[in-house]
Amino acid sequence: MSQFLQQLINGISIGSIYALMAVGYSLVYSIMNFSNFAHGSVIMLGAYLGYFGMTLLGLPFGLAFLFAALGAGLIAIALERLAYKPLRQRNAPFLYFIITAMGASIFIDNFVIATIGPTPKMYPAIFAQGPIVLGELAVGRIDLAMFVISAVCLLALIFFIDFTKMGKAIQATAYNMKASALMGINPSFVIIVVFGIGGALAGVAGVLYGMKYQVFPQIGAITLKSFIAAVFGGLGSLPGALLGALLLGLIETLVSGYLSTQYRDLIAFLILIAMLVVRPTGIMGKNAEDKA
Amino acid sequence: MSGEPILELKGLTKRFGGLTAVNDVSFRVAEGGISGLIGPNGAGKTTIFNLITGVYKVTQGSIEFKGKPIQDMEPYQVVERGITRTFQNIRLFKNLTVFDNVLTACHMAARYDLGSALLRLPRFRAQEKVLREKAAALLDIIGLTDRAEVTANNLPYGLQRRLEITRALALDPQLILLDEPAAGMNPDETVQLMKLIGELRDRFKLSVLVIEHHMDLIMGVCEHIHVLNFGCSLADGTAAEVANDPRVVEAYLGTEDSTCTC
Amino acid sequence: MEYILGIFILSAINLVAVLGLSVLTGFTGLFSFGHAGFMAVGAYVSAIVTARCGLPFGWFNYVIGILAGGLAAGVVSVGIGRLTLKLKGDYFCIATMGFGEAIRLLLNNWKWVGGARGWESIPIYDGLAKIIPFVIAAAAVVFSWNLINSRQGRNMVAVREEELAAQMAGINVMRTKMVALVASAILAGAAGALLANYIGFIAPKTFNMVKSTELTIIVIFGGLGSISGSVIGAVLLTILPELFRAFSEWRLVFYGLAVIVIMVGRPKGLIGGQELTPTGIRKMLAAGKAKREFAKASREGGGR
Repeated sequence: MSQFLQQLINGISIGSIYALMAVGYSLVYSIMNFSNFAHGSVIMLGAYLGYFGMTLLGLPFGLAFLFAALGAGLIAIALERLAYKPLRQRNAPFLYFIITAMGASIFIDNFVIATIGPTPKMYPAIFAQGPIVLGELAVGRIDLAMFVISAVCLLALIFFIDFTKMGKAIQATAYNMKASALMGINPSFVIIVVFGIGGALAGVAGVLYGMKYQVFPQIGAITLKSFIAAVFGGLGSLPGALLGALLLGLIETLVSGYLSTQYRDLIAFLILIAMLVVRPTGIMGKNAEDKA
Repeated sequence: MSGEPILELKGLTKRFGGLTAVNDVSFRVAEGGISGLIGPNGAGKTTIFNLITGVYKVTQGSIEFKGKPIQDMEPYQVVERGITRTFQNIRLFKNLTVFDNVLTACHMAARYDLGSALLRLPRFRAQEKVLREKAAALLDIIGLTDRAEVTANNLPYGLQRRLEITRALALDPQLILLDEPAAGMNPDETVQLMKLIGELRDRFKLSVLVIEHHMDLIMGVCEHIHVLNFGCSLADGTAAEVANDPRVVEAYLGTEDSTCTC
Repeated sequence: MEYILGIFILSAINLVAVLGLSVLTGFTGLFSFGHAGFMAVGAYVSAIVTARCGLPFGWFNYVIGILAGGLAAGVVSVGIGRLTLKLKGDYFCIATMGFGEAIRLLLNNWKWVGGARGWESIPIYDGLAKIIPFVIAAAAVVFSWNLINSRQGRNMVAVREEELAAQMAGINVMRTKMVALVASAILAGAAGALLANYIGFIAPKTFNMVKSTELTIIVIFGGLGSISGSVIGAVLLTILPELFRAFSEWRLVFYGLAVIVIMVGRPKGLIGGQELTPTGIRKMLAAGKAKREFAKASREGGGR
């Protein structure tokens, strides 16, 4: 039983990182209606920014965190301005967006490989060693930190979306961009804010990931799983992304704990496929008949 | 014109969640006749076209074509049965030439399968020739031959509409649904279109159902008119009958209190 | 000499896969991020046929391998198509990506074919058998060309251009998409088979998402909707990386950037969506001429 609880804790902690990443995906999807595959690359850059913040710039942990979040947010905005905005202005078919996102992610990932190099980097130790022990359960300090930081960020996001004017503007734009524009909301500005927030969340997720594991250029590819979580929960739904991510983290950990780590990644993709076949709109998605 | 209607809608209803777009609509299109479907914007006319052609699923009621039910068929099956349509906002294959737009639509006239195509068997060659001749003949009838190599996107608006009609004809339909074919046309062009519809009906032995706002087109060319308002049937009859129906006048011009009583 | 021949053989192999994807993406408008999965199926099936079946037909074994590989990939694609073709654009991309990765991960865990470490010592083309990739490539070009220039091919283009209008033109959209998917899978499977018997070694990681994306990039580069474009793109983008071997880590950087630039600037790619036939060249020249005349008229006309 305690082993099960232990797995549960592990699952939730990995799930909380997935949640940060998945929410970023869903946020952008809800506004732009396309899957920003480059999100994973921004996560990876966040991890590197945090790392260099601490090693090269000698920033203390907290500042390095902010540095990464800010940097990642700006990068995401730059990506939007350079790659997606021209497509939007030309009313390009939305499939072009997903291809461009792929291109951007390949560009960024390999740019890092070619310049910084593929050897993984380790974050300097931030917390004291040794897990926190609660009876028979052990919670790694890093895991606890991950959970807490993720929770704080997500709560802040929920507060922002539901209770601030900007947040309401985002909701309105997600619902109907044209109508919101007619109501005086500047869609361009909303898009910048959304990408900025999504990017910042990605940056935080990247730092957390780098802290727990390592920093390497392929982080973007690995975080594809968070994207699966977003689809699982329902693309475009923030609570769905949260739910999907936690569930995915739990399922993955349980599978790798009780079956084998080999199957861990496979399970994630099987969930994705099953979801798309049975209920493409995800757990919390809505079914809508298109009006032709 | 025989006594049997070629198309009959019985109690047709379509609901989108809480919105009833079409409410218990019934009417007939006579074989070989030209019928009109009119009503203010949002009355449900295009929805009815979408229901007939299988784009939407019917909530209640039935649609019968030549006596057989066709509701809830896949769109391509409806076309195979003999109904084609044009669109309110033109949906041509924009990047293809005029000729290719029509040629693509002629596909049903050929009978070669994938194997023949891949191996370029004689059957393929012969049938391709038939298709090309058919496409050319259609362009000739409609008067687009000199623009055959123009990209559809670059055609003037009026000719784009003609091309859409040509494409609908390429499928050898028995009933053709025209969704606001005169939209955006000036009076001259509208008159020409009226003549064209009549000629096509006679030449190809078609039945026609037209959605239109241009009253001159409707009154000038339709032998029978059905009026919709807020998804309900309002009036049905000849042009003269409908024009004098007080309910129709009220729907278009309004009074203090307009409700749907159906 | 051996080296140059090798590059051409690789070009031929890439060409086959790219042509397949071109039919699906360039002509039918469906973007797939999992096509390497079909290549993997073809590769492993051919490896099994040529290395484990003990067939006595000499070099004809390879042909059987290719046919089996292509067929297997085609069969798999029917299953995948049934599940995914009803999904809308974005979701279809994601689903194909999911399937591509699932196939790779399944192979990773399958010990009998070597698992993650891969499978060595697969019989390779020697002597005259080296001509096989070129024959298959030529066949692929003819196959794709004949497919596109038929009513089935025109239906695919119609689906790409305006799916709703295609439906109203009596086209069975599901079946059209399925034909495109199966055709592209068969070609990808054949390419995978060729790869297996050329290199003699395959591993699941050869057929990862990077490979799938590379194929899509080549199709985009050559121009969506152009067979000539795909041919030229495949050859160019096999030869160029070899020439710039020293900068191999920058290859994908360049590809990624190229995709962004192309999608934003010139989505029609290298050849601009036309074919290198007399008619196609005429069209390109006419379009160029029309553009210049329009530009000229705009400059002179101003102020009127």
